[in-house]
Amino acid sequence: MSDFDKTLEYIDQIQAASTPDEVCGRLLSVTREFGLTALMAGTVPDPGTPAEDQQGHVLLCDWPTEWLERYVARNYVDHDPLVKFMKRKPAPVKWLEAADAVGADEFGRRVYGDAGEFDLHDGMAFPLITLDGKVMMVSLGGSVIDLSPAEFGIISLASTYAIGRAMQLHARIETIEHRIELTHRERECMQWAAMGKSEWEISQILGISEHTSEKHLLNAKAKLGAVNRVQAVAEAIRLGYIS
Amino acid sequence: MIYSLTTSELMGRPDLWQAVHALRHQIFVEEMGWEDLRRPDGLEVDQFDHEEAQHHLAIRNGELAGYQRMLPTTRPHLLTDVLQDLCEGPSPKGRRVWELTRYAVAPHYREGRWGVSSVGSELVAGFIEWGMERDIDQVIIEFEPMWVLRALQLHFLARPLGYQRTYGRQQVVATLLTFTDDTLRTVRAKRDHQAPVLQHGYPDLIGLKKAS
Repeated sequence: MSDFDKTLEYIDQIQAASTPDEVCGRLLSVTREFGLTALMAGTVPDPGTPAEDQQGHVLLCDWPTEWLERYVARNYVDHDPLVKFMKRKPAPVKWLEAADAVGADEFGRRVYGDAGEFDLHDGMAFPLITLDGKVMMVSLGGSVIDLSPAEFGIISLASTYAIGRAMQLHARIETIEHRIELTHRERECMQWAAMGKSEWEISQILGISEHTSEKHLLNAKAKLGAVNRVQAVAEAIRLGYIS
Repeated sequence: MIYSLTTSELMGRPDLWQAVHALRHQIFVEEMGWEDLRRPDGLEVDQFDHEEAQHHLAIRNGELAGYQRMLPTTRPHLLTDVLQDLCEGPSPKGRRVWELTRYAVAPHYREGRWGVSSVGSELVAGFIEWGMERDIDQVIIEFEPMWVLRALQLHFLARPLGYQRTYGRQQVVATLLTFTDDTLRTVRAKRDHQAPVLQHGYPDLIGLKKAS
């Protein structure tokens, strides 16, 4: 099997992952072969972002817990040479090269020193740009990094598809969380409305008052954000509440 | 609105032909540094502007705001004849696979440094609608690797065809994108514009502008 076929297989596995953790695990199983054992991916927060909000920027992370806690507690994001580098010019870079490029101060170097305590001595990072123009930084850390251009190609392709998959999965989780809940009665009334029944007819079928059937339909319409009953029915079908 | 014209239809309208090739020269030679394409008249034309090519023109305010060119894979195209080293295996070919080339948005229609502009996303909606009318559901695109993420966010199914390489001032990776109804729905939702963008016929006459 050629290297490229192998890369395609990695990507297939990553795209078949069903949770963000699984994406993270599958990507790392690829990068580990090249000495990269820790992954952090997220949008770059603005300077001064409070610690409690920094978590919201993280998409995938498998850093040692203690290291992540220290990074957030000491507000390393404001000093991390990689973050500075990506803000200036989003481009692929090695950790140590980024420190030189931004002329990292003592504090900046301390971030790396601390990473070393967790066996993260060097690594590579590269940017991806999301649809709304945000810079997503992927940072992979490990021991000594010496990658050929072909190996870099494999890692960056696999990472890109991993981030894409993780974003799809996150979007799906959000949709489920914001999923509108229709009650059983609302759903029943919508089902009959979809078949062209009037409020009075629905009330007769379900043995409820006409006023009650009207109320159920109005509630369903409001929950579905529809302007009229036709749109409400269309939305309910699209979202799979009725058939 | 996006207008899809064959090469002879485009040549039948000198104002459009001039605008298209001037925009291509401006973006791909002057901005991106593809020096091989430089021409003294400032009009970029290549061997793939043949009779089977389809030119997609995004027209805004009576001027050319964006452009892309579709090439059939049933005859030589960029991936087979110019950018071969972007493809590791056999290149995808067939009636339902076209190659998207020369994707360009005129500078003053861009939005922000990295965002996808409204003209940029209209071109995307345009080629999906155009493909669906013709039973085409796959495009080969040679683009910057960071576009892969955006394609996945738009619910294209993406598959790399090779590794990324450097061309001019850019990294480029060849990718096969497959689109479905879900892709079109997602693109339209992100644009917040549900109506079709593909327009049949010719746009109104546009002003003849000097190539800058």
